[in-house]
Amino acid sequence: MDILFFEQELLRKAKEYGFTDSEVLFLGGKEFEVLVLEGSISHYENSNRQGIAFRGRICDREGSAYTEELTQEAILPLLREAAENAALTEPNDTVLFYGAEESYPEFAGYNTHLNALSAAERVEAAKRMEAAALDEENVAAIDYCVLRTHETEVALSNSRGLALSYRKNGVDAYVCAIAKDGQEIKTGDMFWAGNNWNEFDPVATGQEAARRAASLLGAQSVPSGSYEVVLDAEVMAALLQAFCGVFFAENAQKGFSLLGGKTGEKIAADCVCLRDDALLENGFASVPFDSEGTACRNKTVVENGVLRTLLYHRLSAAKEGVLSTGNGFRAGLKAPVKTACTNFYLEKGILELEQLLGALTYGLYITDVTGLHAGTNAVSGDFSLSAQGYLISYGEKVHPVEQITIAGNFYELLQKIMAVGIDLHFRKSGIGSPSVLVCDLDIAGM
Amino acid sequence: MLKQTTAERVLDAAVSGGADFAEIFLEHTGRSQISVVNGKVEQAFGGVEHGAGIRLFFGSQAIYGYTNDTSEEGLIRTAKEAAAAARGAGGVQMGDFFHRRRPNINPIQRYPSGVAKQIKAELLLRASRAAFSYHDLITQTRCTAVDVEQSVLVVNTDGLWAEDKRVRSRFSIEAVASEGGQKQSGYTAPGGSVGFELYDKIDVEEEAERAAKTAVTMLGAQLCPAGRMPVVIDNGFGGVIFHEACGHGLEAAAVARNASVFAGKLGQQIASPLVTAIDDGTIANAWGSANMDDEGTPTRKNVLIEKGVLKTYLVDKLNGRKLGLASTGSARRESYRFAPSSRMSNTYIAAGNSRPEEIIAQTEYGLYAKQMGGGSVDPATGVFNFAVLEGYLIRNGKITTPVRGATLIGKGAEVLMKIDMVGNNPARAQGMCGSISGSIPTDVGQPMIRVSELTVGGRRG
Repeated sequence: MDILFFEQELLRKAKEYGFTDSEVLFLGGKEFEVLVLEGSISHYENSNRQGIAFRGRICDREGSAYTEELTQEAILPLLREAAENAALTEPNDTVLFYGAEESYPEFAGYNTHLNALSAAERVEAAKRMEAAALDEENVAAIDYCVLRTHETEVALSNSRGLALSYRKNGVDAYVCAIAKDGQEIKTGDMFWAGNNWNEFDPVATGQEAARRAASLLGAQSVPSGSYEVVLDAEVMAALLQAFCGVFFAENAQKGFSLLGGKTGEKIAADCVCLRDDALLENGFASVPFDSEGTACRNKTVVENGVLRTLLYHRLSAAKEGVLSTGNGFRAGLKAPVKTACTNFYLEKGILELEQLLGALTYGLYITDVTGLHAGTNAVSGDFSLSAQGYLISYGEKVHPVEQITIAGNFYELLQKIMAVGIDLHFRKSGIGSPSVLVCDLDIAGM
Repeated sequence: MLKQTTAERVLDAAVSGGADFAEIFLEHTGRSQISVVNGKVEQAFGGVEHGAGIRLFFGSQAIYGYTNDTSEEGLIRTAKEAAAAARGAGGVQMGDFFHRRRPNINPIQRYPSGVAKQIKAELLLRASRAAFSYHDLITQTRCTAVDVEQSVLVVNTDGLWAEDKRVRSRFSIEAVASEGGQKQSGYTAPGGSVGFELYDKIDVEEEAERAAKTAVTMLGAQLCPAGRMPVVIDNGFGGVIFHEACGHGLEAAAVARNASVFAGKLGQQIASPLVTAIDDGTIANAWGSANMDDEGTPTRKNVLIEKGVLKTYLVDKLNGRKLGLASTGSARRESYRFAPSSRMSNTYIAAGNSRPEEIIAQTEYGLYAKQMGGGSVDPATGVFNFAVLEGYLIRNGKITTPVRGATLIGKGAEVLMKIDMVGNNPARAQGMCGSISGSIPTDVGQPMIRVSELTVGGRRG
């Protein structure tokens, strides 16, 4: 069934059913993925996906439902589900449906050159990435080597005449190498993402993963205690990702963040500036509008340590009588509209990584943390994570470090950042950070 | 779900490029979820996932494609796209379909789709009230009821035609206690391969009180001391240690690509002789049970480790081909959007002989991890970590003060050897396990165990 026709039918039937307002979000996508192992394809995938999420107001209540069956017959059960969900909620006067805004930003997230790539070229690149990693010293095997190209299409329409759409595409590559020395095993990985194929260097990507693995061989633990620490850009970005929810007004209103009512107050060290920029050029999370049809923009969240704004979707904004910041997103068809970041990052400073490490008289350079989904408490801000990296003395690497945990509190960490590096790095989620120097963190080791 | 002639045409198209095996996985899943935050319905949603995945094998190479368009044309298009990706000389001759049937191990009394959402919401409101009335320090609650009805059909060129209907229900509550800027939370989330009768088996108010009690207790907890010490891990969700530290390393997907510390160790002593570990997908109405796996192979009870000796891996068809092993009925996937892989179902350490009191009494100093949080592991190195949600210090054989912020880290292979006491009080608990074939329901389980030495990460040196 034609998708435009399906959307129109759905909006028409929703009105007949008794919905006074209704909205359809279409999410479509294509994905190509190849996994390579020992020079040949171990898994190859080619997929197409589409579905819609519906939300509407009926009897002054809002209800949602979704379907991946885009057929005439699927419409009535969908509306019934949404109406039943609406009936569970209290009636409210907050209408979250709007017509189009005056203007939306230009969006250039689609690179037509990517479409011209043949499957063979993509497979070849994945093979070269693996081979380059295997070629490095001490690398015994490749744990995972994958290349993915993807394309998404998003369309939003509602009963107030809103009709918006965009599409974006990209490539991402990931390789994880296993280095071995006698009985000792270490893994190292490297991730690349973008939508300009010419910028992708499969050999360098593979080599970097291999070098990371090999450089950790010979790792030891260190005595437990409080250490001066440099958190690598990737590690700091991972922490920001785990705790970005504390900047959502939605969480503050419910008591799930300690930043409620702190706007205008100093919450971080002077060198901390945080942005949420939906329009960042080539940003992984760049979008022209959110899942509620709000035009997206670039916001200063923390400026020189002072909290300037929390992030809002329409519901949380309505509660405080302010405007949405364009941060209302559905993580997929099944997910309701929640607050989410776009490209959320710590702004870079001026110091090179070497200069940050040089500031450590006796400290740790943490290059990897694991256990973010378990070892963090989003409510209290506490974290305790398995980590690895290097022991540093006067800027020089003494030896690699393993089997330690770093523990602290995110709110305190923001205050303890002494300096910010220049090496801004983004994760696939769009969350980014440079490396940072932290005055003290608790380390559990030997 | 599918006409036989359609299945034949789709499989024909799939093997047209020379594949030696082709499989259709068709899925139709209805889902409903209601969340109550602080005593008010915050979110209610539901809907339908519908699609098909087509998989081909060329020897040990796999090709996968999926689509939401499950019309005959849509499926044939996906099959042809997949076939075009590979060149092979094989090809298979198809015989008649064999319709596999066996008694249902997960009988359902009340399909959740037939229960009014209002009734489900009412249960959540009751749970929320119970948590708030447990203690004045409880400031927030979040309760969720999720139910899923997944119908699947697996058809393949071996002539298999197998259907299953998986019905699962789960209730969860998180209670937050606050005092003087400190916040701590408690959590429980029981569930099963059951319908609405889940709520006859559990008392949501008791669950709420348990979560509230943990939150209030932990509010008074001191920061956990860091360092290496003996750790006593309680039964039930404590089994996540085995799941993370060992279970993932026994998945054939990791073993086949030589990315597991347990590769090549069949028949060898990999754990303390006190450890017998089992993965059983056939436990009636258990959260990780199903009548068949997602390749249509009947599930079964697999003894993974017997008295410390590695007996078998968890094997799916593709990795079985690579390793020369038969499927153990362990191929699972989140949905048609994922190719199946070897995964756990209900995995647990079997009961031992020690009484829990005696394990505590024989520990002079250490950490008692009463309730574990989630964790993760690098299967290549076996390095794992997980959070302790509720922990206490043991001093002189007695459980003393509660401690917060602890994590346990270590290497799976080493920890398995260091299990020096196994209790006689086995229990299972529910979790969602994320890996290459998506997020799937699994049970973890164990009796109380003691690890003679583990690194405890905490915030106090």
